[in-house]
Amino acid sequence: MKNTIKIINKLKKEGLIKDYAIGGAIGVIRWTEPFFTRDLDLFIILIQEPKDKEIIFLYPIYDYLEKIGYNKWTGQWIIVAGVPVEFIPAEGLSKEAVENAQETEYDGVKTKVITPEYLISLLLKAGRDKDKIKIKMLLEQAKIDMDKLKVILNKYNLNKKFQLFIND
Amino acid sequence: MEDKNIKIVTKGGRFITLKKLYEEHQKSHKEQANLPFEEKIKILIDLQKIAYSWGRKKDVIIWGE
Repeated sequence: MKNTIKIINKLKKEGLIKDYAIGGAIGVIRWTEPFFTRDLDLFIILIQEPKDKEIIFLYPIYDYLEKIGYNKWTGQWIIVAGVPVEFIPAEGLSKEAVENAQETEYDGVKTKVITPEYLISLLLKAGRDKDKIKIKMLLEQAKIDMDKLKVILNKYNLNKKFQLFIND
Repeated sequence: MEDKNIKIVTKGGRFITLKKLYEEHQKSHKEQANLPFEEKIKILIDLQKIAYSWGRKKDVIIWGE
């Protein structure tokens, strides 16, 4: 994963993305015990806000990756240095999650990981069964700033969903 | 007798209640949560290898290989 992160950092350095943070299962694993997953989800903030909110072009990223030798795909994932990667344009809650992600190092390489409070909110919003399992793991195993979580849940109208999850 | 008070014999002839066993399981989950990120990814890659070979999930890509 080290080489994958290095290449993603290059995307930022080359001005193809404004910022990014690791989310999804790998984001969760940063804070919990490890579990099986197939891919690396990266939430990205684009350099320019898309003019047409309904169409977001990611091809400059893929063009660049192809130029440096990464043109193999499996399903919706592009293989970057041996890791299937999905780029997810961040907006609203996920954009705020990227902006407030924790700066960390992976094997000496700088990167950013979404914090548990934002991960819980994003997973709650997605609401699939597999997301609920991850929320449970985060609540049991990670240090959660409950005040911070409450602020995010309030802001994005996720309070009711959270209460339903807790009472379930 | 309450289920959780059932005693079981573990490694080295140690007696332990079911309740204590659950608590130790919970503790080990938390300990794994505190491993360095790099260690966790190594474990993930091992899980991917298991899924590929033992679990016969041939569409799983083993990271970095």
